[in-house]
Amino acid sequence: MFEVRRWWSKGLLQLLATVLVLPYLFPLIAMVQGSFAGAGWANYRDVLAVPGFFRFFLNSAIISAGVIVLVYAVTMLAAYGFAKLHIRFREVYFWMLLACLTLPEVVLLTPLFVTTQALGLFNTYAAVILPLAALQIPFAVLLTRNFINGLPDEMFEAARVDGANSVRGFFALIVPLTRPIAAAVLIFTLIGAWNDYLMPLVFLQSQDMQTITLVPQFFVGEFSNDQTKILASAVLTAIPEIVAYLCLQGMFERGLAAGAIK
Amino acid sequence: MTVSTQERLTRAVGSSSRPRGRRLQAPGLPWILPALVLSAGLIYYCIGYTGYISTLNWDGASPDPESIALRNYANIANDPVFWGAIWHTVIFFIVTFTFQTALGVLFAVIMHSRIKLAVVYKVIIFVPVVLAPAIMAPVFRQIFAADGQLNQVLHFIGLGFLAQPWIGQSSTALPVIMVITIWQWTGLTFVLYYAAMSQVDQSLIEAARIDGAGNIRTLTSIIWPTLRGTTLALGILSAIGALKTFDIPWLVTIGGPNNATQFLGTYIYQMTIQLAHVGYGAALSIILLVIALAMAILLQVFGRERTGLERTAGIGRRGRRQKTGAR
Repeated sequence: MFEVRRWWSKGLLQLLATVLVLPYLFPLIAMVQGSFAGAGWANYRDVLAVPGFFRFFLNSAIISAGVIVLVYAVTMLAAYGFAKLHIRFREVYFWMLLACLTLPEVVLLTPLFVTTQALGLFNTYAAVILPLAALQIPFAVLLTRNFINGLPDEMFEAARVDGANSVRGFFALIVPLTRPIAAAVLIFTLIGAWNDYLMPLVFLQSQDMQTITLVPQFFVGEFSNDQTKILASAVLTAIPEIVAYLCLQGMFERGLAAGAIK
Repeated sequence: MTVSTQERLTRAVGSSSRPRGRRLQAPGLPWILPALVLSAGLIYYCIGYTGYISTLNWDGASPDPESIALRNYANIANDPVFWGAIWHTVIFFIVTFTFQTALGVLFAVIMHSRIKLAVVYKVIIFVPVVLAPAIMAPVFRQIFAADGQLNQVLHFIGLGFLAQPWIGQSSTALPVIMVITIWQWTGLTFVLYYAAMSQVDQSLIEAARIDGAGNIRTLTSIIWPTLRGTTLALGILSAIGALKTFDIPWLVTIGGPNNATQFLGTYIYQMTIQLAHVGYGAALSIILLVIALAMAILLQVFGRERTGLERTAGIGRRGRRQKTGAR
């Protein structure tokens, strides 16, 4: 965009970029540096030695996987129905879903608290998976419906003429053709579920059910506010996310950009 | 039967006068039912329930709470903490949106100018988007503490007189929350602007150059106006994000000191879970919901702009092709 031809203006632009980027790097450096303060590697050893530390990762993985499977299945079915099948009052149903788009999750706290306890779901994965999926579905449906709308009708008609019913059409056409949009849905659902803090905080009380977003709090109790070990645990929980992003950069950027349009 | 025959006829004739959506006669309702039950069902049930609770004076445990009609809402109207939270949300939105937009555009322009190590810069700016705020919160508590890294750096570069207990005093606590939020979301703003700029017509820029426009003039007069759709969508996004703010103010400052970083989300949580004023918390929730719904309607009004953004984000099929083409 900017035309920089002369060596000094090139250098100046490079310098500007570096100066602007440094503040973004600073917290990450502070985190790593803080985690080595005092005991050094021993901080990491102590954190890893805490029984059940990997349980947090397992729980986050289970919850994220649950949310992703649920959101993917329900979204694909609904987007196909909305885009290519006959539904009376279709737009009314669609608006019912869209109205949930901007809902802040904190609004759901009390009713979910009462209901999960009444149903015996309190402190189970379902108590977190179901509301998280419910909050992600409206946007995923909006995005996927738009995508399926763009697929040519002739293809679906041809399938029908060849004797394929709607179920067959779904598996033979929708599932393979929606892969690009499914990747975006997958990424923003994954980040949304993996990074969520409020739902696990309220609905997962016993320690063996808790997720990685509750790790800092757990270690505040465990190490009586020893900052270095809390930061070591933060580094350890951040690593999988950074590695996942570095491996799938393009997919993450597209997926999160898609999720952001919410 | 008759409908299908007629439809087949129209199709044979090749007329496109039939409304779309009847390509397959299969009824679609069973297909959308799971989404409706899970999402709309669960959410509307919760909203209805919250609406009912908001008319109660309830501590969350007593078996028969007292019904007090709309008194919770009347109390909220006279609650300075509530109005403070609204005020914080507005300020927070204006400041974070302005800075994110400025930084996002600036980074996007710089990265488009063929500088070295652009990929490294991009990764550094985008990593915060991926990290959980809950995990980064203790890091920021440490950085902004009275003996934290920020003050150390200030002393180091000779600005020691600026050092202060950033999160411990009302005047600086809210700016700290804003700084953390800007740090977290600039990456996303940058990626969206970067994609949008890939689609700016190069011949326009050439023409401006020939007419003698410099870099700054090209940016303000040619590039910036074409980004309008992206900016608008990001504005709505930031406004909704500001309404939802919870993790960072809760984990870094617990809404304090002295309610200086209280947002609607943190206030509802504090009222409902910590102080057990469940009815009051529910009434606050309903108010938050109404504001959020107003935002949703705004979002639909600007729906056209949003599809423009979808294209820049490289999602729709056509958008993908355009983006790769631009590269």
